[in-house]
Amino acid sequence: MSEEKKLTEQESLQLIADMIKKAKGSYHDTGIGSLLWGSVVSIASFVTYLQSVYKFSIGFDIWLIVVAAIVPQIFLAAREKKQTRAKQYDDDTVNAVWLVFGITIFGLSFYQAVIPDATTRLIHSNGWELIKRYTDGSKPDEVLKPFAPSLYSIYLLLYAFPTLVTGIVKKFRPMVVGALLSYIMFIISCFTATNYDMLLGAFTAIVCWFIPGIILRRKYLAGRAAANV
Amino acid sequence: MLEGLLPMFKELDPILHSQLRLAVMSLLIGVKEADFTFIREKTNATAGNLSVQVQKLRDAGYIDVVKQFKDNYPQTTCKITSQGVKAFEEYVKTLQQYLKTGS
Repeated sequence: MSEEKKLTEQESLQLIADMIKKAKGSYHDTGIGSLLWGSVVSIASFVTYLQSVYKFSIGFDIWLIVVAAIVPQIFLAAREKKQTRAKQYDDDTVNAVWLVFGITIFGLSFYQAVIPDATTRLIHSNGWELIKRYTDGSKPDEVLKPFAPSLYSIYLLLYAFPTLVTGIVKKFRPMVVGALLSYIMFIISCFTATNYDMLLGAFTAIVCWFIPGIILRRKYLAGRAAANV
Repeated sequence: MLEGLLPMFKELDPILHSQLRLAVMSLLIGVKEADFTFIREKTNATAGNLSVQVQKLRDAGYIDVVKQFKDNYPQTTCKITSQGVKAFEEYVKTLQQYLKTGS
């Protein structure tokens, strides 16, 4: 492209349109983050489902892999930041949404871990406790630890949130579809037992992140191959 | 004598009315900031030519240029200024005027 060439009005407008299109097309998520989180959340959900349905234990909490995935995520985010050559206006917004989502998920996990014991202590200090009573009278009453019923439904609802925001802002239809399916899974999970909620969670992670991750990765690799031609 | 009969045309901004400088500005209007290498790749310009045109846009106050070292490599980042956005919008408006009258 030469500096000297004087343009006609039509050529100028065409050039502006082409360049704006090129700038917009420069958003290339590598897809690795989506693949990573889609994998770990779907594996953890599915293994939890299998353990509860087939009554076995793998010997450790499978959800630790989700916590462990933070380490490669930090490494990936730092590497992608270095490789980014053009920053879009909405990049910071989308990143902030995912950060808040991450904090919320860990906050909810903390709530899930702490609330039963904390509530037990509180209600004991008030001089009462929860009792589980079998309606057919086949077993004696048992003291019950308080718990949030079907809490994984709330996770499903949350999975849809950053996915839908990213899908809409970046005009990336697979994430919009994934988020809409996630809302459907949420509604179904409100009527199913917790172990089936886990199965729905595995499906949600696949449609929200894993499949969009594959599509993003393919696009990214195709874009890189085209740039190297 | 014809002055009253012909529509009044604004002059097209000479800083923007050049192929490479207009391409750079059109790229930067769509992003928050961009590396020199990104602009060079998208415009297919030579580094030397692009460097000269970026400097002209910077001198006009249309873009900000930040030179820094990232992992021991020099990195030049360009960002459009509010003055640049205004000039670009004005340029597009004037172009549209020309085209409307021409059609």
